[in-house]
Amino acid sequence: MELHGSIGVAIKAAELVDIELGHIDRRIFWEPEIYERELQQLFARSWLFVAHESQVDVPGAFVTTYMGQDSVIVARADSGAINVFLNSCPHRGNRVCFADSGQGRAFTCNYHGWSFALDGALKKMPKMGLYKSTPGFRMEDWGLKRARVESYKGLVFATFDETAPSLDAWLGDFRWYLDAVLDVEEGGTEFLPGGATRSVMNCNWKFAADNFAGDIYHALWTHLGGSEPTLGRHGGVVVENERSWQVSVNGHGWEFNDSFLGNAATMGDRELLRYMRSRQEAITARLGAFRANMWGSVASGTVFPNLSFLPGYFTFRTFQPKGPTKTEIHAWTLVPKGMPDDIKDRFRRGSMRTFSPSGLLEMDDGENWEHSTSANAGFVTRNQKLCYSMAPAGQLEETELPGIVHNGQLSDANQRLFYKRWAEMMDADSWADIPIAPCSAHAEAAA
Amino acid sequence: MNATVQGAKKPDYSTYPNLTRAEAQVAARQLLALNGDGPAADDTVLTSVERFYRREARLLDDERFSEWYDLLADDLFYWMPLRENRFRRDKRPALDPDAMALFDERKADIAVRIGRIASNLVWTEDPPTRHVYIISNVEVFETETPGEYEAHSTFLQYRNRSEHDEATLAGRRRDVLRRVGDSYQIVRRLILLPQSILLTKNLSAFF
Repeated sequence: MELHGSIGVAIKAAELVDIELGHIDRRIFWEPEIYERELQQLFARSWLFVAHESQVDVPGAFVTTYMGQDSVIVARADSGAINVFLNSCPHRGNRVCFADSGQGRAFTCNYHGWSFALDGALKKMPKMGLYKSTPGFRMEDWGLKRARVESYKGLVFATFDETAPSLDAWLGDFRWYLDAVLDVEEGGTEFLPGGATRSVMNCNWKFAADNFAGDIYHALWTHLGGSEPTLGRHGGVVVENERSWQVSVNGHGWEFNDSFLGNAATMGDRELLRYMRSRQEAITARLGAFRANMWGSVASGTVFPNLSFLPGYFTFRTFQPKGPTKTEIHAWTLVPKGMPDDIKDRFRRGSMRTFSPSGLLEMDDGENWEHSTSANAGFVTRNQKLCYSMAPAGQLEETELPGIVHNGQLSDANQRLFYKRWAEMMDADSWADIPIAPCSAHAEAAA
Repeated sequence: MNATVQGAKKPDYSTYPNLTRAEAQVAARQLLALNGDGPAADDTVLTSVERFYRREARLLDDERFSEWYDLLADDLFYWMPLRENRFRRDKRPALDPDAMALFDERKADIAVRIGRIASNLVWTEDPPTRHVYIISNVEVFETETPGEYEAHSTFLQYRNRSEHDEATLAGRRRDVLRRVGDSYQIVRRLILLPQSILLTKNLSAFF
């Protein structure tokens, strides 16, 4: 396969990513045509994270966010249902809500005053008689376009694709692993208050998403300086392929070890670690030792395509695509609702000091992803392949664990599977052509 | 402060100056109440505060972080809250000390940040970023505490690194300054960036 020059839609995405060898075509991080196809094939069809239920806790509460580049409103209706709909007036197209969050009964467009209910339905407009006397005009035809909405243990997802499988099928066995951060105690979780921490990187969104899906390897070098003050030179972060794993389900990826609080330790807060240790027995009783040890361990994960998280810091973030070379990071910190107030505050400050735009660790990442992206301006450069080949021998073994499991968190296995799913969705005309892994019995029972 | 040096035992930051959460909340409320309502400080004080700010900016531009660290009081509270777009009718406080922030620091946290840079292992600052930090619109007011002043200022911070990589951040600062000898220490600092989305990739800088 030799590809030169601009890429037309005739090119199959599967030809751009060689999953067996781990050779990834650099043009997928650069070409506008590929990016436009991602908006259509990935972001308009996938289940995308839009909010935590705690952000819209009472009727009338809303947040605004993005699904791909589509601005959407997430609002709690009087019925208690959470609705997600386009934030664009069907009359002339203006944005109808300019607040990031708030509380209200209606969303009213600034342009002509069309007003929409908490479920997106058109309620009224100035001089309604003009429309009542317009033959064929029906209010119900002109609401804000609604997405399908489903939740998993506090996390709200939406899709604009009526034909997509259920969220449960989309997440599949990944739910069993997600419980290690979403279901560690009764009462569920919440996002800490204050809205999303948002910043802009001039990188392709996939460099960030694939990093969280399976790249702990970078931490050993990229984050040497960031972890040095809290952990000591080379000493703190233990990353080995003993007692560590990569799991992948439907393109979602999680790499982790069984250290229980390895990630959390880099926040350098002893009180916080003392609290976490005090919870270990109860979480083990609830989830079993294997998943309990994932709670705060050296780990990272991505729910395909662009929701990522870090156990231990409990930062959840979306990598919002803003063009082939621009990505917005929207980040929140997730904690169990029942956690003591003082400990929540320690997570608030600890996650900020590590994984926020001022974070000791996050500050190291952006520069890498920006220059991995911008290098592709060079024609010769972008016609090279990237090496996602790392696959130490003997990693794939028989296991009782759900999903595709590799022993050892140091490998590119999850990232290859991320791009396998990327290519499948890019090329598939319908969901019949997108394989969805069957759920295992014990994962189904846990969910 | 003792910045970490190659091969040295790492400092125990838990012994560095800190505040309890309650003390930090009091400090945040103090900052939120600074509205320039007190009597203006006399011109001698104003001139000395402006001199202090010019020196502070130069120390930061020149990466003289240990000297800058010495300008911080042990009871420092250093805060850059998030800014959200909210309707005017929204009753929630615009700035909330319990909400997520971009900086919410004590002196010990600043020491950790300086320790990061001093590790010489931060590849994204090597070659170093070039900074220009401009302070303007300085106003100084008396407070009820003798020797402590309320100071308001605006800033423009320009950063450039590598070839085309640049960021310009403008904002406002509210400080509580404590007179120490013939200079000042920063006791409280509220940094207000007007951006709701940080339009650059990081805040690898002090303000």
